Amino acid sequence: MAKLGKKARKFAKKNLQSVLRHKRKTNSMFKKKASKRKQQDAVEDHEGDKLDLSSERKPEVQDIGDISLDALLGGDCSDLGEDDSDSDGYLEVSTNAFEADMDDKTYLGEDGDVTALSVQNKDIDSELVEKKKKLDKLKEKDPGFCKFLENNDERVHQLSDEEMFSDDEEASGNDTQTVGESLNSSKLKLITASTINVLCQEATELQNVSALTSLLNCYRAACHYGSESSGFPDGTAVYKIQNKEVYSTILAFMLCEADKMFRNLLGISCSNCKKETILDMKNTSKWKTTKPLMKSYLRSTLFLLNQVTDSKILVFSLTQLRASIICFAGFPSLLHRLIKISIHLWATGDETLSSHAFLVVRDVAFLYGNDWFDICLIRTYKAFIGHCKFLEPGMFNHIKFLRNSIVELCSMDLQKSSSKALVSLQQLAKILQSALQTKNKEAVKKICSWQFANCIDLWVEFVSSNIHDYDLQPLLYTIIQIVNGVAHLFLGPRYLPLRIKCIQWLNHLSCCCGIFIPVGSFATDILEYKVGKVGGKPGKDFNFSTSVRLPKHWLKSQNFQEQCVSSAIELLCTHFDHWSYHISFPELATVPLIRLRKFYETTTNEVFRRLVKRLIDQVELNVDFVRKKRDEVAFSPKDQQSVESFLQCEKSSGNASFKQYYESIIQKSVSQNLFTSEKFR
Amino acid sequence: MGKQKIILPPDLPPEVSEEEIQVSDEDLQFVNDNLDYAGFVSRLDTHSITKHVTRVADLKEDALEALYEKRLKKKKALQKDEEEEEEQPGIRVGHVDTLPVKTLDGQLYYRTLLNASKPSEGEGEGEERTNETDKGVVKLTKAERRAKLKKSKKEAKKQTKELPQDEVKDNPQRAVLAELKEDVTAEESFETKKCKLAELGIALLADPESNIKLLKEMLQMCNDGNHAIVKLGLLSLLSVFKDIIPGYRIRLPTEKELEMKVSKDVKKMRYYESTLLSAYKAYLQKLMVLEKVSLYQHAVVRCICTLLDAVPHFNYRESLVEVVVRNISSSDEVIRKLCCDTIKSLFTNEGKHGGEVTGAAVRLIANYVKAHNCQMHPDSIQVLMSLSFDEDLGRSEAPDKDKKVRNKKYKKGNRSEESSHLQPTDRKKSRQEMMSKMRDEVAADYKAASFTPDIMERRRMQSETLSAVFEIYFRVLKHTMQSIVPRPSGDTGTTHVTEAHPLLGPCLDGLAKFSHLMDLDYMGDLMDYLKKLACSGGKTDSSGKCLTVSERLRCCIIAFKVMRNNLDALNVDLQDFFVQLYNLILEYRPGRDQGEVLAEALKMMLCNDRQHDMQKAAAFIKRLATFSLCFESAESMAALVTLKHLLLKNVKCRVLLENDPGGGSVSGSVAKYQPYASDPNQSGALASVLWELNLLTKHYHPTISTLASGISNMSAAPTQAYLSTLTPQQAFRDLSLERESFSLKSNAAKSSNKRKRGSEGVTASSVDRVLEKAGSLDEDEVKKKLSEHYTLLRGVKENERLRSELDRTTRALSLYDDYKKQKKQKRRRKNHVS
Repeated sequence: MAKLGKKARKFAKKNLQSVLRHKRKTNSMFKKKASKRKQQDAVEDHEGDKLDLSSERKPEVQDIGDISLDALLGGDCSDLGEDDSDSDGYLEVSTNAFEADMDDKTYLGEDGDVTALSVQNKDIDSELVEKKKKLDKLKEKDPGFCKFLENNDERVHQLSDEEMFSDDEEASGNDTQTVGESLNSSKLKLITASTINVLCQEATELQNVSALTSLLNCYRAACHYGSESSGFPDGTAVYKIQNKEVYSTILAFMLCEADKMFRNLLGISCSNCKKETILDMKNTSKWKTTKPLMKSYLRSTLFLLNQVTDSKILVFSLTQLRASIICFAGFPSLLHRLIKISIHLWATGDETLSSHAFLVVRDVAFLYGNDWFDICLIRTYKAFIGHCKFLEPGMFNHIKFLRNSIVELCSMDLQKSSSKALVSLQQLAKILQSALQTKNKEAVKKICSWQFANCIDLWVEFVSSNIHDYDLQPLLYTIIQIVNGVAHLFLGPRYLPLRIKCIQWLNHLSCCCGIFIPVGSFATDILEYKVGKVGGKPGKDFNFSTSVRLPKHWLKSQNFQEQCVSSAIELLCTHFDHWSYHISFPELATVPLIRLRKFYETTTNEVFRRLVKRLIDQVELNVDFVRKKRDEVAFSPKDQQSVESFLQCEKSSGNASFKQYYESIIQKSVSQNLFTSEKFR
Repeated sequence: MGKQKIILPPDLPPEVSEEEIQVSDEDLQFVNDNLDYAGFVSRLDTHSITKHVTRVADLKEDALEALYEKRLKKKKALQKDEEEEEEQPGIRVGHVDTLPVKTLDGQLYYRTLLNASKPSEGEGEGEERTNETDKGVVKLTKAERRAKLKKSKKEAKKQTKELPQDEVKDNPQRAVLAELKEDVTAEESFETKKCKLAELGIALLADPESNIKLLKEMLQMCNDGNHAIVKLGLLSLLSVFKDIIPGYRIRLPTEKELEMKVSKDVKKMRYYESTLLSAYKAYLQKLMVLEKVSLYQHAVVRCICTLLDAVPHFNYRESLVEVVVRNISSSDEVIRKLCCDTIKSLFTNEGKHGGEVTGAAVRLIANYVKAHNCQMHPDSIQVLMSLSFDEDLGRSEAPDKDKKVRNKKYKKGNRSEESSHLQPTDRKKSRQEMMSKMRDEVAADYKAASFTPDIMERRRMQSETLSAVFEIYFRVLKHTMQSIVPRPSGDTGTTHVTEAHPLLGPCLDGLAKFSHLMDLDYMGDLMDYLKKLACSGGKTDSSGKCLTVSERLRCCIIAFKVMRNNLDALNVDLQDFFVQLYNLILEYRPGRDQGEVLAEALKMMLCNDRQHDMQKAAAFIKRLATFSLCFESAESMAALVTLKHLLLKNVKCRVLLENDPGGGSVSGSVAKYQPYASDPNQSGALASVLWELNLLTKHYHPTISTLASGISNMSAAPTQAYLSTLTPQQAFRDLSLERESFSLKSNAAKSSNKRKRGSEGVTASSVDRVLEKAGSLDEDEVKKKLSEHYTLLRGVKENERLRSELDRTTRALSLYDDYKKQKKQKRRRKNHVS
């Protein structure tokens, strides 16, 4: 039992009254919201979301204290609401109903596996039997007590009922039946393996609609199994699932085959259909018959997704559901719910689950386009922002994945996403501006956080991967200025990680966009950090990659020095490598070389000296190389075209010594990073 | 309360003027109760007391006469007032007051009796003072008296409480009065004192001449134990003095003058002036004492500053200036600001004091700087910037002579004309001579009387001031120089500017401003100093800098400013400064050093330079281009603007824009470019090509890239004689990040042909890569998982059910106890009934 099911967790909470009370409170609030929200049209909903991004942020700008990057987060969880909870997807079936001959006892001990829970169950059972015996004895002994009990029956039951219902999620609402009573209801139907098999066959081979209907009912029961909504509205039959095989068969079968069956019913091909196909069908009779079935299926599946926590099941159901995403065209509210669930899974799930969830989101954005794209983008952005406040060592890759997937989503519609990016960047810029101008403490604190850094990171990635496909010049300029501003704002050695990040971004942007961003001074500044007396002893282990700001004690350690030198060399290398074939490389290297030499002369640490010396030698080699080549040419600086073509052949061949050196440096740093991240995992 | 009373010295004269003291019923009671002690009242020699009271002891007879008249009038008026009050029995004040009235002056007698008796009982010396105060009281104007009387019962009560206080001091029967003491609260006395202060102040302002004696009373209030009262007293005295101090300096009459017979008015005036002066002196002494007490420091410094600002011409200003200068470098922000502002206003409003104080203040500052070995707050030197020197005065000698000559000539001419026209007779001549003599005398008198000292005097003062100013500046420079030589290696951090030379900045500023007033002989020394300072960081850099790059840059700037102010009349070689700048450019760090200073240096030294040294210009062009490849956009922009300027001015330097191997015909002595050379003339920059521009055209900042491409195309339009108006400083400021607006227009209406990527592009994404790694899902596995899930759910459900069942049974069992109890009761009841 590595992972408790959602139900199980709920159950565990049951005996903790305070938790429960809290839950109920939130539940009722939630309900209110949902009901209010219900009146709104779905379309309005989307527009609201769209406005969300643009308008909701603007007023915040006034008060820096209130600008939080994730302020957009909450607020629309309400559309998870039980929008149309009318029938709850139950489908009325008169035929093929199987009377259940109920036998409670058969369940007990039926399973071979001995889990902790089953052991506990047995204990409770034995206790129960004992107590019952005692009660019976008392009853026998004293017939008066029997009467008394009957009189006080209310008390006994009321108390227990109260407890039951307090445990219940309000989903069962006005329904006051107890479990026991509902079990006794005549409409209870037991689903057995054989019935399922028969139904499956009928549904697939004969395409029997009624079989499908009852299958869907079973499926629904299976999905809701174990959930609190034990009581169904009157007039609906209650299905009972016989055993685990039945349960797994019905779920697996439905998830696998439902899409195909619906497509058959509607007569649409398996692939390549657009939402218009579904929308066009809206008035046909086919649609009218299929619609409730489809709705029931989708709703049940979504319910299942909410209930289950096991990643394998989630992945499976998500992949199957993904096939029938087109079916959601008729049910915007369900689509909202789907987006919400998948984004939640995307942000929190493990690697596979997360990527599958993202595929669903991407498909939704792709298939439905326009408004739905906006919704997806905004929601993913919010989830990302909300999720990247803190960075644990293990989360590094996940955040990176989230970032990449948002960038991928953005790439689907560059026009829309670039306008969104602009809004977001402006928000960042506002914070930065106030920090630069007034040294506003709160703003400074806000900037020096993973959230801000990750936000920049996201847009840097977006710009650098899309700059060639779309005109992102204004975005590019803004983001460079923001990064420059951040680097300008945090000069102290304690902010070394942030500074390194800034330079990396600038290098990345420069490399991808083919523009020149001066970085040399930033990088060499790192070498010149003076932190007073260096202790010389290796500092305490400290994960460099997961912090924006260094602890004070770390500044005096040997590690810090090492980090400074190695990162400065690495960053300079990247910068130089990018321009190593440019005609002005010798000039570009001049100032950094002077400063490197100075460092080389002053430092006493042999390791550092060696490292720096190597860099100096390599750069000088390249300087000489470019200079020699340059002396041979006849064109002048104003001849841009000839300059562009300068050394292009050499560049493409790519076996210059500097290139090799650069690669070795990068490799070393990668392995170093791997090592440290392993250490902290 | 009682404690306070004990602390108070018994001989302290009453702080309430007798006028206000009304005797209450309680007092009367007290007197009646202690008739034995009060017996002296009847036994008093009323006559002598009256004599003392009605006459001012120390004054001359004729002055007294006037006073008598005045007083009588007032007394009559007073009596009238009180008689009016007597008619209204409801008012207690009147009632009490009327009690002792028997004679014409009765009411006054009684009161003076009470108070006069106290000192006569204790120390005899008190009498005189009482009389003095009494006299002051008597002199109160009618209007004020009325205003006081109008104050209702409340105040009367307070005053009555004061009275017992006074009595208690001297009365041996303290025990009897214990209850009375308790009634008197500190707050009330505070209120009273406040009112008293206000009244005194108003009285003084309303009629200073007659009420001048009140100053002493106010001064005495400043001795109070209560801090608030002392502060209030000081401040109200300040406002009084500010108002009543005359626009001239008071000179006390000499013995001889005192002996001379003078009119009443003069006597009165003399009295007034001497009282004012002595009170002022006492006040200042008080301030000086309190200035050392930290509690009063703020108030005192404020008083002193305001006084110095308002009446810098008056007596004792020297001590004021001294205090202000002493506080000019105070660590307290408020005090420092006050003092600096005061000094500044002294410097700017020289008309108020004729410039004498300026010299004194500067001299004092110079001494202070010396005493503190240049370790002061920069503000203290910054104030010198507001000095203004009359340049005409400095050079007035020659024009003066000219004028005189011209005047003479004119006169001569006149005279010759006169002589030609009129034949002057002897009588006329003598008359004329007399006239001119008279005129001269009058002029001399006028000069002596008026505040404007003659030109020579002013020149002398100014040159003294100037020498003090330059003494300060040179002292700072010298100090800085000395501190450079033995350098401790305790320089920490590159980010913060070392505070070792706090005065250097303002000193350099001042030198730039006043250098033209300096003697040319010193100019060489000054330049020498500056040169050394600018070089200071150069060679011994490894052991930590003493001067920051900004400071060194400023030295260069100042040197150039000094040169320019002297209209380049000096023959000093500025080459070294160029060398310094050439190297300093590379030592500049964006975060640490001030970019504005660099931009200013570029402007001063390169843009405004009139020399046309091609080698040097080329070297700087090359260096600036290299520099701009390495730093942020603001610095790059400043450098590029300068570069462009240089290229425009030095047409021949445009060879740098052409790839002409070997520098063509203009190459200098160095055939190959040496990028690391530290001397611009040795760099051989003319042989290089400005390839940097190519990279700069790719600069992310659009302004820079356009400028760079503009420069690279410059040679194409050689005839263009357009000089950009943009200065490096302006360029720097425009592009600095603090100014960045970050406002950008979203050009959404761009071409949309590229807007959508097909799904083909999407497929090769990171997500799919992840999925490939994960492999496909096994349905069986899922089934297994599902059944596990089912089991779990079922278990949970079962558990739930069982628990509820169990609960119910347990409850039923517990009900059994109830049942039993009930049964018992029933049985008992039955038994009872039966």
